[in-house]
Amino acid sequence: MADWSYIPQVLVSGLGIGCVYGLIGIGFCVIYNASGIVNFAQGAFVMLGGMITQTLFSRHGLPLPVAALAAVAAVAALGVAIERIVVRPLWNRKATMFVMILATLAAQIVIERLTLIAVGDQPKTLPVFTDLPPLMIGSVAIGTQFLWIVGGSLAIVALLAAFFALTRTGKAMRACSINREAAALQGIPVSRMLALAFALSAALGAIAGILITPTQYTAFNVGVPFAISGFIAAIVGGFGRPFGAFLGGLLLGLMQALAIVVFGAGLKTVAALSVLLLFLFIRPSGILGAAK
Amino acid sequence: MTISPSITSPDRRRLRLVGLLPWLFAGAVVGYAILVGGYAATVVSFALIYAVFVTGLNLFMGFAAQVSFGQNAFAAIGGYVSAVLTASHGWSPLPAMALGMTAAVLAAAIIGFPTLRLKGHYLAMGTLAIGLIAYEITVEWQSVTQGYMGISGIPPLSLAGYEVSSDRGQLVMLALVVAGGAFAAARIRRSRFGRALSAVAGSEEAAQALGIDVARYKLMAFLLSAGFAALAGSLFVHVVGFVSPEVFGLHMVIVTFTMLYVGGIGTVAGPLIGALIVSLLPETFRAFKDYQDLAYGAALILLLIYAPRGLASLFSTRGRS
Repeated sequence: MADWSYIPQVLVSGLGIGCVYGLIGIGFCVIYNASGIVNFAQGAFVMLGGMITQTLFSRHGLPLPVAALAAVAAVAALGVAIERIVVRPLWNRKATMFVMILATLAAQIVIERLTLIAVGDQPKTLPVFTDLPPLMIGSVAIGTQFLWIVGGSLAIVALLAAFFALTRTGKAMRACSINREAAALQGIPVSRMLALAFALSAALGAIAGILITPTQYTAFNVGVPFAISGFIAAIVGGFGRPFGAFLGGLLLGLMQALAIVVFGAGLKTVAALSVLLLFLFIRPSGILGAAK
Repeated sequence: MTISPSITSPDRRRLRLVGLLPWLFAGAVVGYAILVGGYAATVVSFALIYAVFVTGLNLFMGFAAQVSFGQNAFAAIGGYVSAVLTASHGWSPLPAMALGMTAAVLAAAIIGFPTLRLKGHYLAMGTLAIGLIAYEITVEWQSVTQGYMGISGIPPLSLAGYEVSSDRGQLVMLALVVAGGAFAAARIRRSRFGRALSAVAGSEEAAQALGIDVARYKLMAFLLSAGFAALAGSLFVHVVGFVSPEVFGLHMVIVTFTMLYVGGIGTVAGPLIGALIVSLLPETFRAFKDYQDLAYGAALILLLIYAPRGLASLFSTRGRS
């Protein structure tokens, strides 16, 4: 039977993973807003973020911060490559939304398999960023990695908010999400914004993957579950609203943590998917209402 | 689009002959497998089981232009009901198969009612979620499904006291099922139901304006598709004699979509041709097992970009302008 005294501890860990889901959810929204495309290869970015960092750190002996930065840059470049190789040709042929989903899902599988061939199927992990004893608040232990995840996510969200509100490029991307034709008429290079959205979204996914890897593990096939959780976060928050997605991620993380206490860890994916179906059936526009 | 009336009769005859080519190809492959038997028969049997599944997928996605990434859930229901009832409870295969299909169609009705109101990427993600939930349940519900271990010792199908257990017997049976499925698909396409589906595919608003009950026809196509999926799942467990969650996982989704697109979405011969080609090609370079899903994924991307209407559309007498 469930032991209720664990609840505060469980909620803390739910909040941590929720931040990660939120970052992935924002990644979905950034691409969707720039293009109307739902990129199902989002999970590959998360997996590669952790995997490339781990490879550079353990196999090539780079310091962790350098390895992490290099991984984020590499994954962002991969995001642009996917946009050029897979999405752009379909976009130019005016492919349907469904074909786009299928093509990005296929890209996810291709990246997964290439990773499997490159590094094998053994799960890998990273050390925690700072090896200090956990903070104790009452009976609740708060690990330093949790602080890194929450602090890092909040910093990223703040930076994104500043980027969209203050910079010319950020404003141009917002203009694209409001009306692409009108944005093009204003002289905004819409197709360059699409490539930029993929780079940004891939970098967000990679950061999420790097933050979470020390608390669990990474393997070639962790991407799809993360992508689905991120997508659920985006739906729960109201699709196309980046900050709604972060909120949705926190909510999903907490609900999943509670579900693990009540039903056991095996059903955590089922719990997350049930949250998705519930929202789709009852309030598909999410907590904040869908953008547009 | 139909052939314009100005076309002359020799042209029409030529077109009809071209339309027969995919069937001749399929007949030749199956005939060869029956003659040779052994490993070739096994490979072609799998292809035919997939063809049943893809035929159902094509009804929903090709004819009605809807999206479902979760049809593997219904294959899992059909397969596991058959497996559990025959291997653990001593049922004979045919009633177990019938019950599995009924259960899958019932599940599809319950799931489809709320799900099919969704559109676009909501529908795509909702159905993907259903497929993943089914997968998780087959892994976690160990008292019934035995988790990753899977269920073995499932008896082969028997018809009127005759057990279909030889490679060739199974192949003949599967070929008959696939032919029946293709015949049904061809009949459906030309029926009132099929025309309603293609109206829905063209424009839901226009179909509604013509007095077509869009929601009802979508649900019917979904149920039919689920029935085909369950039949394929059940055939799989009886032919192989073993089932595990991996059989109906995400791999199945990618492989069957590749088949549908290779063969040609929305055509009658497409599912069979796609299933045969996609199953046979990897056999020619089996040594690279790790590269198979990689090849499927890459092939799918290339097809979507360069040949979105598939190979069967090259032979189709319909759908050309």
